[in-house]
Amino acid sequence: MLNRLLAALALTLALATSALAQSGDPERGRVIAFTCSGCHGIPFYKNVYPSYSVPRIAGQNEGYIISSLKAYRSGARKHATMQAQANTLSDQDIADIAAYFVSLAEESE
Amino acid sequence: MKYPVLYAAAAASLMLLAGSAQASGNASRGQELSSQVCASCHGVDGKMALADDYPILAGQHRDYLVVALQAYRSGDRDHAVMSSFAQNLSDQDIDDLAAWFSRQDGLGELTFD
Repeated sequence: MLNRLLAALALTLALATSALAQSGDPERGRVIAFTCSGCHGIPFYKNVYPSYSVPRIAGQNEGYIISSLKAYRSGARKHATMQAQANTLSDQDIADIAAYFVSLAEESE
Repeated sequence: MKYPVLYAAAAASLMLLAGSAQASGNASRGQELSSQVCASCHGVDGKMALADDYPILAGQHRDYLVVALQAYRSGDRDHAVMSSFAQNLSDQDIDDLAAWFSRQDGLGELTFD
């Protein structure tokens, strides 16, 4: 009985740890995302050729930020600056950045 | 006319202004279109996301929304669902939808202390 309980406890701990490793750390994300503010942090900052406003990303969905950055990294989504930025990011970096952007929406609520 | 160049410049500015006003789209028509086409995944006001990897549209820049929808329509940007929906949108539809979603409260600029 005790053995079973211990096994269940160990399994729970293992699952909890792996979930922790996959979810992003908003505090680490805040540091990495400082680069992003160079374009996304300036109100009405424009992309050039063609000219349009760079998208607002504070409060965007976590999963959308992750899939967008991974698409830029793989080249599936094209944008010279974003591809260059995303190329430097690991999966963990991307998860952390996304967690930070989501936390901005929670703050403003 | 004492200053023909000045008058010409003023006329040209007015025409440009009129052009940009036209391009800003009709938000109420955008709302109607959104309720028919976009709402099931994004919510009528763009604040909902059916899946976590679908974007929030509320408060996004108008001109960015236009560029994104045009890119889905042209095939520059690829997404199974969005590519097929965008095929059916006219330039006017895109302008109207962008006008609607950009006027909703939602996304913000990044700010750093």
